[in-house]
Amino acid sequence: MAKNKIKNNIRQFRFKNNQMTQAELADKAGVTRQTIIAIEAGQYSPSLELAIRIARAFGKKVDDVFEYEE
Amino acid sequence: MNRAQKVAWLFVITISLAVVSSLAAFAILYIKVGIPKAFAGFALLGIAGFGGFGPIVFPKDKGKITCDERDTFIDRQAAIAGFATAFLVVGLACMLPFFILGPQATVAVWWLPNIFGAAGLATFFVHSVVILVLYGRGGGNGEK
Repeated sequence: MAKNKIKNNIRQFRFKNNQMTQAELADKAGVTRQTIIAIEAGQYSPSLELAIRIARAFGKKVDDVFEYEE
Repeated sequence: MNRAQKVAWLFVITISLAVVSSLAAFAILYIKVGIPKAFAGFALLGIAGFGGFGPIVFPKDKGKITCDERDTFIDRQAAIAGFATAFLVVGLACMLPFFILGPQATVAVWWLPNIFGAAGLATFFVHSVVILVLYGRGGGNGEK
């Protein structure tokens, strides 16, 4: 499988947001905890819609949470 | 491990068990009674049918959301792989006799439902394996 070029700062933002659990983030973003784990580990690239929902859960922009590595 | 993975494991185990036991039964019967009675050994392929109990046996996942875009994506990829396998099995079953026996040979009609059955088993098996591979080892659920 090709290396995922989408990096994310979900773990840092979870800890900055009162140590939000993966389950809490999953509920806010409307996905399963398994999916949050996969995204956080860089094993799955979310759709644009989900990326926006995750960023909104932290009150941030998509660019703050996700980065594209050239 | 979510419900889809548990069901996939059940399918992989039951289909593998069915294929191995039926081939063993066929081999034993072939030595003891020969063809065509040895084909009765393939009745053990019915073991694969127990895989169909998966959705009943395994309860729905806990939590508000039980299915999201990643689950849908994985299921779609698995379905594509499964149907591609069915196409391959039917294609090979049609083309191999042609090339091995030649264009003038004839094949008994009773092979057709068996080819259909084999394609079905292959579809379910590959579908389940692809689900397990895409979800990743350890279930991708923080479990190792």
